Amino acid sequence: MATQISPCSSSSTTFPPSSLNQDTFSSAKFFNFSTKSSSSRWVFKIHSRINPKNQFELKSSNGYPLNAISLQDGAAEMPLAKELVSREQAESNLSVTIVGASGDLAKKKIFPALFALFYEDCLPQNFTIFGYARTKMTDEELREMISRTLTCRIDKRENCGDKMEEFLGRCFYHSGQYNSEEHFAELDSKLKQKEGGKVSNRLFYLSIPPDIFVDVVRCASGKASSKNGWTRVIVEKPFGRDAESSGELTRSLKQYLAEDQIFRIDHYLGKELVENLSVLRFSNLVFEPLWSRNYIRNVQFIFSEDFGTEGRGGYFDNYGIIRDIMQNHLLQILALFAMETPVTLDAEDIRNEKVKVLRSMRQLRLEDVVIGQYKGHSKGGKTHLGYTEDPTVPNDSLTPTFAAAALFIDNARWDGVPFLMKAGKALNTRRAEIRVQFRHVPGNLYKRNFGTDLDKATNELVLRVQPDEAIYLKINNKIPGLGMRLDRSDLNLLYSTRYSKEIPDAYERLLLDAIEGERRLFIRSDELDAAWSIFTPLLKELEAKKIAPELYPYGSRGPVGAHYLAANYNVRWGDLAGDD
Amino acid sequence: MATYPPSTHCPSSSAYSNNSSLINGSNRLPQRTSFPSILRKRCRSTKLYLHQSSNGVSLSKAVHVQDGAKSMKASPVENDGPVKILKDGILSVPPVTPPEESIDIASFDFNKDKSTVSITVVGASGDLAKKKIFPALFALYYEGCLPEHFTIFGYARSKMTDAELRTMVSKTLTCRIDQRENCGEKMDQFLERCFYHPGQYDSQENFLELDKKLKEHEAGRVANRLFYLSIPPNIFIDAVKCASCSASSANGWTRVIVEKPFGRDSESSAALTRSLKQYLDEDQIFRIDHYLGKELVENLSVLRFSNLIFEPLWSRQYIRNVQFIFAEDFGTEGRGGYFDNYGIIRDIMQNHLLQILALFAMETPVSLDAEDIRNEKVKVLRSMRPLRLDDVVTGQYKSHTRGGVKYPAYVDDKTVPSDSLTPTFAAAALFIDNARWDGVPFLMKAGKALHDRRAEIRVQFRHVPGNLYNKNIGTDLDLATNELVIRVQPDEAIYLKINNKVPGLGMRLDRSNLNLLYAARYSKEIPDAYERLLLDAIEGERRLFIRSDELDAAWSLFTPVLKELEDKKIVPEYYPYGSRGPVGSHYLAARYKVRWGDVGSEQ
Repeated sequence: MATQISPCSSSSTTFPPSSLNQDTFSSAKFFNFSTKSSSSRWVFKIHSRINPKNQFELKSSNGYPLNAISLQDGAAEMPLAKELVSREQAESNLSVTIVGASGDLAKKKIFPALFALFYEDCLPQNFTIFGYARTKMTDEELREMISRTLTCRIDKRENCGDKMEEFLGRCFYHSGQYNSEEHFAELDSKLKQKEGGKVSNRLFYLSIPPDIFVDVVRCASGKASSKNGWTRVIVEKPFGRDAESSGELTRSLKQYLAEDQIFRIDHYLGKELVENLSVLRFSNLVFEPLWSRNYIRNVQFIFSEDFGTEGRGGYFDNYGIIRDIMQNHLLQILALFAMETPVTLDAEDIRNEKVKVLRSMRQLRLEDVVIGQYKGHSKGGKTHLGYTEDPTVPNDSLTPTFAAAALFIDNARWDGVPFLMKAGKALNTRRAEIRVQFRHVPGNLYKRNFGTDLDKATNELVLRVQPDEAIYLKINNKIPGLGMRLDRSDLNLLYSTRYSKEIPDAYERLLLDAIEGERRLFIRSDELDAAWSIFTPLLKELEAKKIAPELYPYGSRGPVGAHYLAANYNVRWGDLAGDD
Repeated sequence: MATYPPSTHCPSSSAYSNNSSLINGSNRLPQRTSFPSILRKRCRSTKLYLHQSSNGVSLSKAVHVQDGAKSMKASPVENDGPVKILKDGILSVPPVTPPEESIDIASFDFNKDKSTVSITVVGASGDLAKKKIFPALFALYYEGCLPEHFTIFGYARSKMTDAELRTMVSKTLTCRIDQRENCGEKMDQFLERCFYHPGQYDSQENFLELDKKLKEHEAGRVANRLFYLSIPPNIFIDAVKCASCSASSANGWTRVIVEKPFGRDSESSAALTRSLKQYLDEDQIFRIDHYLGKELVENLSVLRFSNLIFEPLWSRQYIRNVQFIFAEDFGTEGRGGYFDNYGIIRDIMQNHLLQILALFAMETPVSLDAEDIRNEKVKVLRSMRPLRLDDVVTGQYKSHTRGGVKYPAYVDDKTVPSDSLTPTFAAAALFIDNARWDGVPFLMKAGKALHDRRAEIRVQFRHVPGNLYNKNIGTDLDLATNELVIRVQPDEAIYLKINNKVPGLGMRLDRSNLNLLYAARYSKEIPDAYERLLLDAIEGERRLFIRSDELDAAWSLFTPVLKELEDKKIVPEYYPYGSRGPVGSHYLAARYKVRWGDVGSEQ
């Protein structure tokens, strides 16, 4: 949304205020405020977002705020922005409520990310953080708990201790049941107290099991919504376990929330290199001409972990690797990779293109999938347990811990190009990467210099998301020396050598985006539907037919079936090619 | 040829290995297979790649087939049949020795099945010989690239003994290649094969003496002779005449390597070619341009033609301009005599840079064979507009004091006339009027006494049409275009500048490099250009040498502007020694909406 010219009208048309509690806000915005006031707040935040890197301020601040990327409330006009900033700052308050505050994700990711944002000056001047869970705890106890996981990860700058104290001072706790409207009403009054009459913007982060999503949303929305600002809810996966349950969840959520209040998080979309994917494609001339079936032979999305469920398989066993990794993380990256050029970088434009790609995809067929499950393995005197030996996993579980799949996009750009996915636990490495394998050179003059295996002589573009972020392009090059010997060398961009700064965690980016109302990296309901409809028939068939996974040893490269699947489409997995 | 054991193919009646097949007509195999054997040797130190190399290079037809080339191509000579091929080396040498006769002579000989290469460095006491030619020959020897039997002769006017030559040569020999073992031994072995013969460059008699000495060393083997003319251009013809008439091989090939300058304009170049051709065939003339022997110039075709991702971009549709940049950080330093007569345009642009341009811009050749590649290069050169005076900026360095050190001006050089207008710097914009390159400026820049030393090719790509990220790039969109840089020297590297998101919250873009730094990727020392070129000449690989029609086409681009510069006595723009050169080059570039890539804030 958010065109620069008439911010408010565009915002109101694109995102009709929710029927529940945004009315007041919207009307306040439309009638009482100057049209620019709410938006200017965001301009300020963007300034502060880039505060620590002053030398780039001009370029970035020119570029970014005017570009409508983060202007969920309408784009600003720069001249007005500054004078309004301080007033705005003083008048609004952000409350972030973490529902499920005693959980693992909250401790390991959410609080640290919020602190990092605070440290980087990315949070508004007035903010409050509330933990909400069933456990009885005081504010002090919460602070004690959080402080253990806070670290000054960002470059180890000065007065980290002070900053931490300051941050903890803004953290509070409220214990309550997840389905109690009463308890949420109590939370609301505490929040109001902290907000002190300022315009209140409330963000709820649901870090809870999926079966209580709807309860919490009902209570939070009914009792703890902001009366004069926005209310947004961040939801974590799983978003259902198939098309029906996901549709059901969406319908339930929408009883209480408008589409634009729901922020479905996919933390892979917050990864630096996934963010960079669009930059690479659309800001460089040299890639886009190659980005089609004319030049690309196949694309691979690879995700591997070098550990198993390790005693926490209860949740996983109910979902399996296809739902846990492929249907969301890898498919999202695929959609970003393969989408047509969007009209702008605005969230709606990008998500429209992603939906188009997803809807052009064939439903995944059983023969295009290989599933695996890791078994116990002893290596160097150390024994690793098999998946079914995990006490939290049923002994006869057929849940796949590994899957490989071949997907196809039946549109003009990608017809016939296999998109291969591979995801697995307990493999030999930990990595996440995108590999683009290019076609053979037609009429290659140097054919004879390559020997018999021409597949080794094709170009490949690799975006390594983790570990050690990097981009490299494999090219054929002459080995220096007399004679004419060729080999594949890399044109390299290793992030650690180019950028000294620590790369922020995906959660930082996503939290900040949710606070700023930037929806680009969140999943819209129709995207989710389209994603499920690709995978649901297959998932049903796997379960109905009780297909047994191919067993592979813990710490291995996964089932060999993956190679045969790839070979069906004349593809080789790039990560196992041996020249990495 | 040295290592090929042809015995099984050679009936005793035949004079030497080559002609058995020739006389028998159809089977030319023995002659050609000798080259693969040399190539294998070429790769001896790198055995693991043996297959690729020997397959690819040696078997590709007509690349190495200097002796058989004529029969393979539809050239008039073909009609002459095997006899003509047989006497290749002596083809145009009057009087022609009848093939039967040579067969008879050779058949007496003990070594008749073997061949040898004699390399005669004419001008052996000169600088180039000492610094480049002898060390390159030694490096080839060290790497096992020279034939088993070879002889090296120095020829010059100075009186010198063999021992004196060896002393002189030994001073410049180093075991440059990776410092491997028994270097000293190898050096001694090499020096033992070096000999010296003093003589005048225009004396047939002296060359006859040389011939006799060569024959002694050849000892009845099939004699292949390579003459490297490392002498001033005014005595080229004399030396060629004498060498060709009096010291040509009677039963093997005879080739002559000629160094620039190849004339100073179209007319003088053509005259030189005509004179050379009185004594030599086109395929005996090896015009060397040592830039073509540089590793990254060799790699240019590999990059283009063995990677899918570059060729689709290689046209006016995506490339905005191409820059060929050559800079030296020193002046003539007391040796300006030769340079002053030629100037930077003739010395660097018309040959080195233009050759690289032609390789860069040519269409895909039918094969990697020399004739196919050179055909494509000629096509590019002939599609180019002759350079106009408004598209040229010339400069000359003036003295400059920096850090207490005074650097002299060009005209302070004692070997340079004090009123010299010879350019020591030039920038030029060239255009290729063909379908692929219409409207794309090809900019060249070459200069002495600049602030750094470098040679590179820069390919600047167009703006991204409808760039979604324009607003993130700021006002100067030129800073956001992709650029492919091939750095020939120093520190060989290839890198592609791409726009990338700076890691962190927010959306800031910058240009980062996709890098291939040779030093980091390849541990092996990169061979000197002369090694490659000498080896190619020995093997008859002509890909990197300049054919007469290429030379003609190259001169016709530059001759009009060179004449005009001289007729109008155009005064060069002065620039301080050690500076970035005259600002005029920026205005020239700006006229075609180009920025020099080497003087931006980021490189």
